[in-house]
Amino acid sequence: MQVADLNQIDLQALARGDKRSWDAFVGAAAPLINAMVRRALAPHGLGEDDVMDAAQDVFVRLCAQDFRLLKTYDPARAGLSTWLAVVARSAAIDHARRRRRPTQPIDEVPEAALGVEDRHVEKLKIPQGLLTERQTLILKYLYDEEREVADIAQLLKVDPQTVRSTQHRALVRLRAYFREGTG
Amino acid sequence: MSPQRNDLSASDKELWQSLAIGVAEPRPVDAMDFAAWIEGRLGEAEAAQIEASVAADPEMRRAALDIADVLGKPLPAAPERMAVRARALVGFEAERKAARGSLSGWLNWMTPLAVRPAIVTMAAIVIAAGGFTMGGGLGASFAQQQYGASGIQKASSTSEVSSDINEFFASDGI
Repeated sequence: MQVADLNQIDLQALARGDKRSWDAFVGAAAPLINAMVRRALAPHGLGEDDVMDAAQDVFVRLCAQDFRLLKTYDPARAGLSTWLAVVARSAAIDHARRRRRPTQPIDEVPEAALGVEDRHVEKLKIPQGLLTERQTLILKYLYDEEREVADIAQLLKVDPQTVRSTQHRALVRLRAYFREGTG
Repeated sequence: MSPQRNDLSASDKELWQSLAIGVAEPRPVDAMDFAAWIEGRLGEAEAAQIEASVAADPEMRRAALDIADVLGKPLPAAPERMAVRARALVGFEAERKAARGSLSGWLNWMTPLAVRPAIVTMAAIVIAAGGFTMGGGLGASFAQQQYGASGIQKASSTSEVSSDINEFFASDGI
């Protein structure tokens, strides 16, 4: 069953605990929850059993306490698949945190791994309001995380050229502010 | 950094990395608001609030990109085992009702109307008496009288075992 089928689920019957609605919901939601959980757990190097358990955590969250979480979903605000993806990722990250390996005693860590260069540099503060929230977000994605413009454009539902021009305008503002400030 | 990568010049990146953003503590974002923002359904002011929180939190930045990416691709089928386990979380209402009503249904079918209160009363007495006997009742003092301290010692060793099992179930391993 594809994600599109999620739109056909009777949410009111589901929230009442109707078994048939729940089974239909599971069939429609499982591919999305599976994909989201796998993506979230991938950097943590966890195995198939953890994927299964984390996915089960998602379903448990949804139906626990008489479907309390599911009842918070508001179709007027966002699509069910997007909301489910948010819930699934959050549950998967919680699962990964619980499964995190216990800390290693410092004596067992190789010295090379502990070698941290002490290079404290006082950073200039960007005053609040100089950049918009979107400009800040785009610069964070581009420079701190080295993400592709295309990925950021897809996320923000804008043209890649819009991301580039937002980046450009932000840098112009920063340069102008700090040139004036230091000049 | 490849030239293809977004035409970022090294000096731009150096400038950015030499700066710190003076932002207030980001506000927590709930799942519904985050989903609405990812879908681009929020107004400018609402979106700006979410974007401030996302910009301030690396985990939220990763989450937003992961979710947008997963939603933008065809999804492979989930393992059957996953769906089977999830379906088992919710039972049929009819089954739940049947389970609740099984004893009374059996009574209604088996016995005439006038005898039912007597049967229910008898069952309650038997259960109460059984519980009293199994829970120790007067047995402990009787054992003390009859066998002295050795019987009591035996009883206390049983309680040690049950306490260990409780600890086992209460441990993180379960």
